[in-house]
Amino acid sequence: MNFASVAIEVLSALTAAANLFIIAAGLSLVFGALRIINLAHGSFYMIGALLMASLFALGRPEILFWPALVLAPLLMAGFGAILERLLFRRIYHAEHLVQLLLSYALSLMLADLALRIWGADTRSVPTPAALAGVLVVGGASFPLYNLFVITLSLAVGLGLWVLLRHTRFGWEIRAAVEDAEGLSLCGRNVPALFTAVFALGAFLAALGGAAVAPLQAIGPGMDSAILVSAFIVAVIGGLGSIAGAALGAAIIGFFQAVGTLWLPTWAPAFIFLAMIMVLVIRPSGLLGAAQRAWAEED
Amino acid sequence: MARNSKAERREGRAGRIRSLFGAAGLATTLVLAGSLSARAGEVTVGQSTSLSGSIAQLGITGQRGITMALDKINAEGGLLGQKVRLVVADDGMTPANGTTNVRQMILSDHIKALFGPVSSAVGAAEETLAAQYRIPYFLFTSNDVRMTTQVFTPYAFQVVPNTVMEPRAVARYLAELVGKKPITLAIITPNYSFGRDSADSFVAALRAYGVDVKVLTQQFPKLGETDYTPYIPPLVAAHADYVFVGQYGGDLITFTKQALGFGLFKVSTVVGQYGRQVLTALAGQVPAGTIAFDRAPYWAMEGEGVKRFTEAYHTRYHEWPSAWAILGYTAVETWAAGVKKAGDFDGDKLVAALSGTTVETIRGPITLRACDHQGNVAEYVGRVSREVDPRYGQQIYTDVKAIPGEETMLTCEEAQKLQPRH
Repeated sequence: MNFASVAIEVLSALTAAANLFIIAAGLSLVFGALRIINLAHGSFYMIGALLMASLFALGRPEILFWPALVLAPLLMAGFGAILERLLFRRIYHAEHLVQLLLSYALSLMLADLALRIWGADTRSVPTPAALAGVLVVGGASFPLYNLFVITLSLAVGLGLWVLLRHTRFGWEIRAAVEDAEGLSLCGRNVPALFTAVFALGAFLAALGGAAVAPLQAIGPGMDSAILVSAFIVAVIGGLGSIAGAALGAAIIGFFQAVGTLWLPTWAPAFIFLAMIMVLVIRPSGLLGAAQRAWAEED
Repeated sequence: MARNSKAERREGRAGRIRSLFGAAGLATTLVLAGSLSARAGEVTVGQSTSLSGSIAQLGITGQRGITMALDKINAEGGLLGQKVRLVVADDGMTPANGTTNVRQMILSDHIKALFGPVSSAVGAAEETLAAQYRIPYFLFTSNDVRMTTQVFTPYAFQVVPNTVMEPRAVARYLAELVGKKPITLAIITPNYSFGRDSADSFVAALRAYGVDVKVLTQQFPKLGETDYTPYIPPLVAAHADYVFVGQYGGDLITFTKQALGFGLFKVSTVVGQYGRQVLTALAGQVPAGTIAFDRAPYWAMEGEGVKRFTEAYHTRYHEWPSAWAILGYTAVETWAAGVKKAGDFDGDKLVAALSGTTVETIRGPITLRACDHQGNVAEYVGRVSREVDPRYGQQIYTDVKAIPGEETMLTCEEAQKLQPRH
């Protein structure tokens, strides 16, 4: 065990955490603002990655990467807005079981739809040339693209913080969470606000999918694989808390990396162990106090 | 036909929903079953496999192979004067769904033969059930050796190299390559019985072939892992001569892309199941010289039968066939040969006719040993080529060796010792 291998392992843990954060942040945001547990969030992630692959297939990868990285999530955000208007809007006040059934059914339909449109073949997106290099740390190499994913997630975290704390949009979301009726009486268009929040959640899921596209096989099954991890992260951090999602992602990334280094055989169990420990000590998640308050109010 | 395929699709969805809704899903299936019962002048065969989820690619292309074989049989007038119809269902990768689907196919559709699924866990559960109803069962993708040993039933036939044969074949190839030179090895395999078994068999086989091998590190990420970044640096740091990768399909694609970034292929020679779909998806990125194995690589197989099938498959589906498609086709050929020899669709007569015989298939003759019904099928091992083949649009193999089944199978004594006593 030398410095280089520890440094590489820390960077690897951060990559895993970065990707999980982008996705879990969307899940948590939607739950925090709309109190919807969206089991179709993983499908949005998969569709984001598939859209990325389709946009890439249009032409030259070195030119297409950046526009595709923005366009794929935007398309998904538009689709998310439509789903909110048609489906989710109707169940904001329904019990959680109804929300689970609706979003689970939706995830099955989206999985079938994706299978119909994109087929069962797994696809692969090339790494853009500018990010294809490696960073050499004490003789060991680390992919530049992973550093990009870490940077992107820091930008997303910062962007969400500014958006929620320092803009009118964020102020309105927080107001709507406290008292949607009051906000509506003040002349604000609350339904449109909720549509925007849901679309933002879908955008983040798809951004996560598009960003990891060069690192992974893209195809059926991505949806359910990520959903479990994203939920673990969101639950550890406290559903509804963006900062909690960041903390949860860091914890999961750290546990996975440490587990892999010292007890490889048991590595996959470590993240569940982390979740159980957190839930025993703080059932509402590390930063989930706000959620508890809502639950009592309900 | 259109009615069938629609009902089949609904059935597929029911398979998944059933895992959540239990009884409600079962009711849906039973209602659908009424519309699918057998008609006169026609026999029905069934396949429940994974048509959704991360291994859907294997299930769907395998089923295409079955469909093409049945279409050919029907175009030539059917079997014993009867047309053959296929009913399908999605098992959603779980044994419970698989057995529910199969029970319904047996009781409502009166199937005469059953073709196996992708997952060995599902396959083992279905094998016992098929035997209870005396339905011949043909395994061609799931390849756990337990299905011809611990859970063996006389109704099951295996036409794919099993989990003992495949790692032994790869070990033999590597043993010839390294000779007497001592080697170091790192291992990464999915964390379930298939992964652990194939890693253990591979190391044991290397030693049996006289290779002086030292295992430096082993990693066991879960099946379907999407992020291998924590697992790769220890493999790189080990600086092993060879890295044995047990991941397959989408997992292998993901692993390869991430391992390329960490420079694993520069410090070690990787050994993995680089088949048709993986090589196509990776679009020329697999470093030349990587040791690759596959159960039926169309580009490396000899014989007119496979060549004709490959062209026909490409014409019909606009892509080249996976190993699963070729193996699915041979599974149907095996069943049809048994029916012709027995002169009957009856399960017991067919088992008696097939056991210990040799059948002609597109991949050449396959002998189904009487002791465990394992076909003596070859495993193909080679080195990944430098260039993408212009015709096939993927990298192919160089220095390919077809390792014959006879050289890698358990002996009949070994197999029978493991089989349940009847």
